[in-house]
Amino acid sequence: MKKLLSALLSVLLLSSLTGCLSNNYENGELYIYLPGEYLSDEVVEQFEYEYGVKVYVTTFDSNESMYTKLLGGTVYDLLIPSDYMIERLISEKMIQKLDKSKIPNMSAIDEAVLNMEFDPNNDYSVPYFWGNAGICYDTTQIDAEDVESEGWEVMRNTKYRGMIYMYDSIRDAFMMAEKALGYSMNTDDPDEIEKSYEWLVQIAKTMDPAYVTDEIIDGLSYGEKAMGFVYSGDASLIVAENEDMAFWAPEEGTNYFVDAMVIHKDAKNVENAHKFINYIIDYDAAFENAVFVGYTSSNAEVVRDITMEGGDYEDNDAYIPREMNKNDEVFHSNEEVLKIISELWVKVKNTK
Amino acid sequence: MKKNNAFSKFYLFLILAFFYLPIIYVVFFSFNASRSLTNFTGFSLRWYEKMFKTRSMMESIYYSTIIAVIATIVSTIVGTIVAIGLSKSSRLIKQVVTQVNNLPMLNPDIVTAIGLMLLFSTINVPTGFGTLLLAHIMFCIPYVILSINPKLRQLDDNLAEAALDLGCTPIQALYKVIIPQIKEGIISGALVAFTMSFDDFVISYFTTGPGINNISTYVYATTKRINPSVNALSTLIVIAITLIMIVSNVVPLLRERRRKNEETA
Repeated sequence: MKKLLSALLSVLLLSSLTGCLSNNYENGELYIYLPGEYLSDEVVEQFEYEYGVKVYVTTFDSNESMYTKLLGGTVYDLLIPSDYMIERLISEKMIQKLDKSKIPNMSAIDEAVLNMEFDPNNDYSVPYFWGNAGICYDTTQIDAEDVESEGWEVMRNTKYRGMIYMYDSIRDAFMMAEKALGYSMNTDDPDEIEKSYEWLVQIAKTMDPAYVTDEIIDGLSYGEKAMGFVYSGDASLIVAENEDMAFWAPEEGTNYFVDAMVIHKDAKNVENAHKFINYIIDYDAAFENAVFVGYTSSNAEVVRDITMEGGDYEDNDAYIPREMNKNDEVFHSNEEVLKIISELWVKVKNTK
Repeated sequence: MKKNNAFSKFYLFLILAFFYLPIIYVVFFSFNASRSLTNFTGFSLRWYEKMFKTRSMMESIYYSTIIAVIATIVSTIVGTIVAIGLSKSSRLIKQVVTQVNNLPMLNPDIVTAIGLMLLFSTINVPTGFGTLLLAHIMFCIPYVILSINPKLRQLDDNLAEAALDLGCTPIQALYKVIIPQIKEGIISGALVAFTMSFDDFVISYFTTGPGINNISTYVYATTKRINPSVNALSTLIVIAITLIMIVSNVVPLLRERRRKNEETA
């Protein structure tokens, strides 16, 4: 027993020692905080090797839980939240301005995602991945013409009763209803919210939908249901898995999102954070990363090449989000509205 | 009577199925050839390959193991000392400390977790490996004390005195007499501590810092996208725990048999 314990202890000691000694990273460290499955390990290793920086990656499950963690006083150097969260971080002065002279590769970024409302001059953020939301459907069961002519309304077409998924996310569900009715997805008009609620109740009553979250990717890939609300990045996975599936972002407008890299105001490794930003938007790294993640890269050339003949996402209509039209919007957070629609959403889900 | 027997077998089967089906399901789909978690398309080891290639996943295994091992060792030593000390204390102290000891176990994890997070941030301790380890040691100690206490109650008080009378130093009395008597309590306390630490999520989630993920916090953050490598990881854990269970059950049996053989010889 004693021998076992001492053997164990010495192994522990050795492993922790080698852990300390084996770092030959002459340029310090970098702490990154980003959503899970959103960064290729190989790209990170390449960065460590080229720049001599040890990278620590931590992942979060939602923008909100990231925000809580930051409020708790934890400091990461580089964060990758979504548009509306960046807006909030800027207004609460939790992130710092970037030194653009250190990010020459900024010129490679797709203009479609530059100078967005949440950060008009990209003073704080550099786009990472982006996309929109739409309807993913099985072309063998759902008439493509119906989807394209009816847009979000196709979710209420009783021809397809029992065949649809509802994405169980409060703001996405209300976005769909508000866009179908021609409102802004950021509306705070009680009347419009009420009408959107009724639109959703109607689906619950007549369409017999299944409320799901991430099971939707599996469910649509393997034909358990024929149609559902999906983000473009997930849709490109579904379409890659099942050739019968197609993606359509309704013309009445949809949610555009941009996830971007920002630097924490108290970051200790500001220099390395800039190096990483510049590195990851460069063609080679961005390409490898995009193949791994499946969302639309912010590097315009990567998007072009990856969807070309022989590319990883060839013929995948979900991979390139259609150009932003005048009805498309970016989400803004509004606590008041969120509270109201959260209550309404519970009622929608309980409607039979 | 016979009918009753069939029913009880069926009942047992139901209970076992309820316990083990989810685990079997996870293990089964870790061998899937496609990305799906519901549709089995063929056997493959690609998710295992991906798991071993994913550095963050391997790191999470490393951190879970090292935290669990250190937390187990420290909490077992501290817990044993406290338990022995308590058994020699006055009744009042014994009662007070036992109650204080029970509180963290009854307290919901989430309350402990948020309390720790707030504490660390108020006294300006940066969260990370150190705070995670400290938190784990903290919540393991009460379980160790709890599992040693009954053994100490069975212990005859006079044994220690006899040892001292026969020329042991107090330290020797502790090592040669008391510890061997309560060994089973210590071992079961250590096992409980290890499993508590290894599979803890809530407290780890709130007390860990940049770059440090254990298996549960890592898996939690990855559930947003489908990743069967998580199944592969779970399978490895199931195998590891099964092995530990087998070893800890079979070794005493073997030892018993050997002792009996020696006695008869």
